Amino acid sequence: MTAVNSSDEIAPSRMLHRLTVLIVCLVWPLIWVGGLVTTYDAGMSVPDWPGTYGYNLFLYPYKTWLFGPFDLFIEHGHRLLGAVVGFVAIGIVIAAFWKENRRWVRWLCVALLLMVIAQGALGGVRVVLSDRTLAMVHGCFGPAFFAICVILAVVTGRRWRQDSDAERLRSSTSILTPTKKLAALAISLVVLSYVQLLLGAMMRHVQPTTSAGHFAGIVSTHILTAFFLWAMTGLVWLRLRRCGDLTLSRPGGILIFLVAVQIALGIGTWVVNYGWPSFMTWVPGSQSFLVQAKGFVDSMIVTGHVATGSLILAVSAMLCVRLFHRRWQAKQDRLVAT
Amino acid sequence: MKVSLLPNCFLIAALLLVGPGCDAPVESFPDNDVYALTLAHSRDVPTEAASRDVSSVIEELFGTPNQPRWPSELMDPDLRISEQNLTRAAGPQLSEKDGTHLGLFREHCVTCHALSGSGAGPASVFQNPYPRDFRPGVYKWKSTQRDAKPTRDDLTKLLQHGVAGSGMPSFSLIDPDDLDALVDYIVYLSVRGETERELMAAAIDELGYGEDSIDDDARLVTQGELVTQGETDGAAVIREVVEEVSNQWASAESEVVPVPAWEELSGETLAASVNRGKELFHGPIANCVGCHGKGGQGQAVTLDYDDWTKEYSTRLGLTPTDRDAMRPFKKAGALTPRLAKPRKLTLGVYRGGGDTDSLYRRITQGIAGSPMPAVAVVEQEDGTGLTSDQIFDLIRYVQSLGPQSTVPQSEFNYQSSTP
Ligand code: HEC
Ligand code: HEC
Repeated sequence: MTAVNSSDEIAPSRMLHRLTVLIVCLVWPLIWVGGLVTTYDAGMSVPDWPGTYGYNLFLYPYKTWLFGPFDLFIEHGHRLLGAVVGFVAIGIVIAAFWKENRRWVRWLCVALLLMVIAQGALGGVRVVLSDRTLAMVHGCFGPAFFAICVILAVVTGRRWRQDSDAERLRSSTSILTPTKKLAALAISLVVLSYVQLLLGAMMRHVQPTTSAGHFAGIVSTHILTAFFLWAMTGLVWLRLRRCGDLTLSRPGGILIFLVAVQIALGIGTWVVNYGWPSFMTWVPGSQSFLVQAKGFVDSMIVTGHVATGSLILAVSAMLCVRLFHRRWQAKQDRLVAT
Repeated sequence: MKVSLLPNCFLIAALLLVGPGCDAPVESFPDNDVYALTLAHSRDVPTEAASRDVSSVIEELFGTPNQPRWPSELMDPDLRISEQNLTRAAGPQLSEKDGTHLGLFREHCVTCHALSGSGAGPASVFQNPYPRDFRPGVYKWKSTQRDAKPTRDDLTKLLQHGVAGSGMPSFSLIDPDDLDALVDYIVYLSVRGETERELMAAAIDELGYGEDSIDDDARLVTQGELVTQGETDGAAVIREVVEEVSNQWASAESEVVPVPAWEELSGETLAASVNRGKELFHGPIANCVGCHGKGGQGQAVTLDYDDWTKEYSTRLGLTPTDRDAMRPFKKAGALTPRLAKPRKLTLGVYRGGGDTDSLYRRITQGIAGSPMPAVAVVEQEDGTGLTSDQIFDLIRYVQSLGPQSTVPQSEFNYQSSTP
């Protein structure tokens, strides 16, 4: 880093940035715990909401929570962690209006808070109505929220502000200007990874009345899209690997890795739920594999698949905003030049 | 308990926002359309009227997926099913404060076995074998005679052990009380499904439902309480069918196949027994080699289907691989027939148990619903079956094939003695 900005110039939004990093670090575990709730079918272990068995959320006896049934442990834990995220979101809004001068960032923070509230409400209504479809919507909204958190952390970061400085013109001359094609590719990455998430959620929250053919259709689409997405991450990385900007090439590389892991976890998820599929009986050991309902490792694989899905979405979103930022900067530069 | 106002307003607002939820309602069990179509094919008559009446009778007798009913007034008194268990296993997923789970079937089984136990659940397509269709009442892994029902104990063990190499999970980590409730629910779905099938067949074959007009007396209606008194022909048929089906389940215990005493062998005597078993395996009477291949390697080519899919294909004279012929059945909810593969015995995977008693039952009964035939047990060697000692030889040979076998394989010379 050659360009060092004076400290009081950065200071204003440092708190905001820290809070956004904190929320990112809280939301990913929150997604894990939420995923576990579904994996263990614990979604309905606390039938009321917003209270827990009549208690205020925060006053529920911690002993019953920690040492009671596992279902209750994760469901109540999910609620508590969710509430903490809510408080951090409030802090973010306060910090934004206090210290942040970019209007759109402020409003993004407000949107973030609204999203937490909506997500909490969705979770609550899902419980009160005992509705699987709402559980699915709740499950799909979580990763979207996570992606927004990551975007906020990116745009409040020091790098982003430095890059916005005129100084960057002097410091790094060789930065890449993403082409329209590359930008489109990045957007499709975000869209497709979200579509994958939706398809996955549809399988996970399958209705008892869903027909076998319909389900098989979703599965096939999910599998095809997975490989398509993987190919796309390869393509994006090829474009970015020598761009000279680690904030772009690194997420590009990470995405290839994450999607590969995700495909492996996806196969694992199927296998620990339904055994080896009929088209994969050539795999050694598949013929003697025994599915273990509610096994610990199995549940972790399934939940890991869910959590990695949102990680992929978040990293693609991060890559996408950075690429668009670059394009925008390039435009500004051209304006300045002329 | 004091609940503050704000969250409540919030909740109400949120409820208004999403309306009354979006789940597909689960109001009644789907009818057995595949069987109706099968009957229509085999009897060459329309089955709509029979379907309609049977459907309402079945719902009246057995209730709905959310509110199951057990018509104990019609059942064999020896068949004890706890209605409390049924209620716990049925309905939507829920859990109580003490950790008790409700809606067990939908939590653990429905994605494979489907709501009515048809085996064509959402996740069934990519499985081989397909999840069991409970409605014909045919089960593979049990201690009873081939055409008898499994005992409660068989079903409980099945749930605990699972079925290795298939999608059927082991539920050993689930509370035993839950498994008990699920066993009741399997029996419930089975009895319900069999009654539905038998009533359909009786409607066509005995009550004249295939004809243009149906005699009032022959109509399948329960008339509330009257069904126990068998007032009309239709009501009498209902009573008979339910009695017969429940009777089979009630008598499962008495159908357990007795296993003669056998000895634990070792060393020389074991090796000799295994060698005799090997001869038998590859010999003409048992002819295990015909399906399981030389040395149980599973290399033999077989082209057979299981009974559940044969019912709507080969038994109607239709070719299972003929897509056009299968289309109407698939539309009605049937799964594409898939070859029943004889086990590769060198894997040492025994779905029904690899212990000597289980294998004795497996070999002397065959595997119900699958092509695996029974070997007749004879007193004296006469060329039509095997003596029980020979069967134990065969079992020791089979047990020697698996990877966990304690009998070293090298002791046996495979090439020389195979015919
Ligand atoms: C992942 C899919 C799957 C799930 C979940 C599942 N099953 Fe199965 N089930 C199967 C398959 C596949 C078979 C067929 C095994 C065979 O043919 O050997 C089967 C067979 C059975 C059988 C018949 C065994 C026999 O002897 O013929 C019973 C009974 C059964 N399942 C009960 C249940 C119950 C009860 C549950 C829920 C607690 C359940 N299954 C959950 C896939 C599943
Ligand atoms: C007509 C073909 C056929 C013949 C003959 C046959 N089997 Fe099988 N066998 C099968 C099929 C098919 C299966 C798999 C059934 C399933 O898993 O649904 C099977 C499964 C088995 C199993 C596994 C049972 C379990 O618990 O998982 C054993 C053991 C077995 N056969 C032994 C024998 C022996 C011993 C003989 C000779 C007496 C024999 N089989 C003859 C078709 C056959």
